[in-house]
Amino acid sequence: MTAKRESPVDDYLPLPATVFHILLSLGEGERHGYALKREILQRTGGKLNLGSGVLYGTISRLLDDGLIEESSERPDPHLDDARRRYYRLTPLGRRVARAEAMRLRDLVRLAAERLGFSESA
Amino acid sequence: MALAHDVYRLLLKLYPARFREEYAAPLEQQFRDDYAEARSAGERLSFWGRAVRDLAMSLPREFGREVAHDLRFALRVYRQRSLVTFLALAALALGIGATTGVFSVLDAVLLRSLPFAEPDRLVVVEDAPVNAFDGRSAFHEWWSGHAYLDGVTAYSPHEMNVEANGAAVRGTVAETTAAFFDLLGRRPVLGRAFAPEEETPGRDGVAVIGHGFWQQRFGGDPRALGKTVRVNGTPLVIVGVAPPAFDFPQRTVVWTPTIFDTHMISKSGLPFRRTLGRMNRGLSLAAARSRFRADVARRNPDFLKRKVGMTPDGTILTTHPELLPLREELAGPLSQASFVLLGMVAFVLLVACANVGHLLLSRLSERRDELAIRAALGASRARLVQQLITESVVLTSAAAAGGLAIAYWVSRLAASVLPAQLAAQNYTVLNWRVLAFAVALAALTGIAFGVLPASLIGRAQPSADAWRSRSRGRPGASRLRTALIVLQAALTLALVAGSALMGRTFVRLMGTDLGFRTDHVVTLNVSLAGSRYETGRTERDYYRQAVDRLRALPGVESAAAIQYLPLMPVEGFRGTGFMASPQEKGMGTFAILNYATPGYFRTVGTAVLDGRDFDNADRAGSERVMVVNEAFARELGPGRAVGRRLWDYQGREVTIVGVVRTERLSGPASREMAQVYLAVDQSRPGFATLVARVRGNPASLLSMCRDAIGSVDHQVPVYDIATLDERLAKNTALPRFYTTAILFLSGFALLLALSGVYGVTNYSIGQRTHEIGLRLAVGAGHANLRLLLLRQTLLPALAGTVIGIAGAFGLGRSLQHLVSGVEPLDRWSCVLASAVLLATAAVAAWAATRRILRVDPATALRAE
Repeated sequence: MTAKRESPVDDYLPLPATVFHILLSLGEGERHGYALKREILQRTGGKLNLGSGVLYGTISRLLDDGLIEESSERPDPHLDDARRRYYRLTPLGRRVARAEAMRLRDLVRLAAERLGFSESA
Repeated sequence: MALAHDVYRLLLKLYPARFREEYAAPLEQQFRDDYAEARSAGERLSFWGRAVRDLAMSLPREFGREVAHDLRFALRVYRQRSLVTFLALAALALGIGATTGVFSVLDAVLLRSLPFAEPDRLVVVEDAPVNAFDGRSAFHEWWSGHAYLDGVTAYSPHEMNVEANGAAVRGTVAETTAAFFDLLGRRPVLGRAFAPEEETPGRDGVAVIGHGFWQQRFGGDPRALGKTVRVNGTPLVIVGVAPPAFDFPQRTVVWTPTIFDTHMISKSGLPFRRTLGRMNRGLSLAAARSRFRADVARRNPDFLKRKVGMTPDGTILTTHPELLPLREELAGPLSQASFVLLGMVAFVLLVACANVGHLLLSRLSERRDELAIRAALGASRARLVQQLITESVVLTSAAAAGGLAIAYWVSRLAASVLPAQLAAQNYTVLNWRVLAFAVALAALTGIAFGVLPASLIGRAQPSADAWRSRSRGRPGASRLRTALIVLQAALTLALVAGSALMGRTFVRLMGTDLGFRTDHVVTLNVSLAGSRYETGRTERDYYRQAVDRLRALPGVESAAAIQYLPLMPVEGFRGTGFMASPQEKGMGTFAILNYATPGYFRTVGTAVLDGRDFDNADRAGSERVMVVNEAFARELGPGRAVGRRLWDYQGREVTIVGVVRTERLSGPASREMAQVYLAVDQSRPGFATLVARVRGNPASLLSMCRDAIGSVDHQVPVYDIATLDERLAKNTALPRFYTTAILFLSGFALLLALSGVYGVTNYSIGQRTHEIGLRLAVGAGHANLRLLLLRQTLLPALAGTVIGIAGAFGLGRSLQHLVSGVEPLDRWSCVLASAVLLATAAVAAWAATRRILRVDPATALRAE
């Protein structure tokens, strides 16, 4: 039973960096495209500056794959531009992001063993 | 800011429709946000750099996704309608394939560059005022004395026995001038070309051999240079090897500079010599021609009036001096025939396209609900158009793939009935021009038939309501359908009328009385050139022995030797004039000269109408006699021909002893030509074909006959062995091919028209179920309704027929290029074609209206 649920999640792995970053940002709550871009830019210290074509192309694929969905709830209209679209993680998206994080954690552990550094460093 | 925004909005149009619809707004929003942050000119510049890079990265990805999506959808749609899809696919594949196949022939003979340096400067000099027959010094004096040709060569190709390294083959040997290779601008890959002094007797025993021949006979060994090759027994020293794929003229395997040394290599048959020139650089063909004509007029004012021979189809050749581009000369009648054929297959392609148009239109209306729902869900017109175009591109790409297979087959077929003159002109579809042609054809049809239905969507508002409101009586679609029927009917009629014409011509051709019988006759060629039978007496002895050996075989009824056997491919015939008295001046009565042994007429079944055949008493030293054919006897004038005495050019007297039926020497399409037969025993034919009439199946006796003749002398090669029936089949292969091709094309077009009419009628009934139900409810009979629908379908078919008849007249004229003897289009072919077409349309429409019988008025009305 568990195996069955896990297999679709595994199909998505490993996640491209852009996708993982988007899922991570949405893990915290709903975001619109521009906010995602800003947050990722900030988090990566300016290294990952997503162009809007790539960003929305990725969003479109994530929507098709069912990892994220469009949110119909809107924040306070004063704070919001009506044209903006908000996205949030689906349960599947959350599981996939988590699985990716665990995959990375295992990799880091292995690297720590082999290359000899402290995991917390 | 406004300008930057507009630019960005334009760039967004590059994205595929679905993506654009979904994300144009947020993309623009984000652009505005980002752009506002860039304050200095430098920042803006780097902002644009990032934007362009982003576009370059995301565009291909989005296109890939959307195309994959549309493809999956298109395949699903086609799987659901596999039969209809298959028909459309087959029609398009055949259309694209046949058109591409014919184009590959045109490409080979007209577009591909010839394997010579600056081939456009090469011209064949037709009837040069001075040619190679006039001797070396006269020839060179002629061309070096004027300023329009840079250089000149002459060549004379001949089938000969070519022997090297202990094995003999039959192959083309070209006797040339020394300048041959230089003039064409090709150097031998090994060794050298001929030196100028090597075209003089005594020094001309040299040869350049073909690359393929070198590979086969010498295994590509460079030590072949200096070795000997024997042509018709004459030894020649190999001095060079021609470049690969160089085989001009007529697939030559050996070149030798012996053209001025006529007797160096003994040959059978008539020597034909051609002169080839290279025009001065910068001189146009027209200018060169006018200088050439002036040159001819100055040298020999009455040159134009000479009669020099007869073509295989019986036209008397008079001199006609002209410069012809070599390319044109090599393409010959092929190019015109191919253009006619290309036109016909293009007709079929158009009919096929009209059919696909019908199909897509019907599918469009069937899918109206689906499209309406999709429109209601927000799919824009662009999105739907993109989907429809993808669907038609899928269809035509599949058709193009199938079409290439058909094209390959067509080009092989064309090569078997009408091979090109040079290896460099071999037909192939694996050539960028031909492939580009096929791809362009497929793309054009694909886009046309994706855009056609899409343009009908275009007029509808992309909303569910609009779709529904237009679901009945869409005038655009129905007008288009009618136009397609008219187009189909017109094209099909032209094809059917053309095929009726061709079919009739072919039947008449095959029914032509040849003047001889082709059944139960075995024919074999021997070449005495270069053998020990070259003097007059030994030659006669050889033929007598060979004929005796044939007669001695069980199953052979009679046998003979003849110089020009009917149906043998020849360049032309040698003719001469006969005078009524030794004093008469002028041409006399012109006739083809032929030589026969006793028993020839009985062997080929040519009736002796008056007098007698040759017999063994007609020998050297006895009275010179000849047998003439009916055509010659007619030209002699009234009175009995037998017993008349005539004089040839040399003033020798000859008596007519018999009159025979006229043989059509070059097959059913050739004219009846005046011909006289002299006795082999009283002359020197030079070459001959042996014929034997046999009991039973002649094909099974071929090898026995060959062995019998071979046993006379093993040194004399026996070749080109065939039954006379086989020769007739070969002789009529081309008209048979063209007739079959056109019958097939018109039959296929008729089938397409049938399915088109059926589809349209069927569709219109589906559209009018409500109206039909209403009519039935108020008491209209089924039969009346069917007749009404029939009339509505037949009207556009009739209009198309009228247009088609006009087209058929044009087509009829161009068919002359395919088969000689095609008459202009007549009333009966038109009537026949119209009747066939309208009957086909009527049957299709009537069959489709059967649906009405099943219409239940109550259900039909309730459905609304």
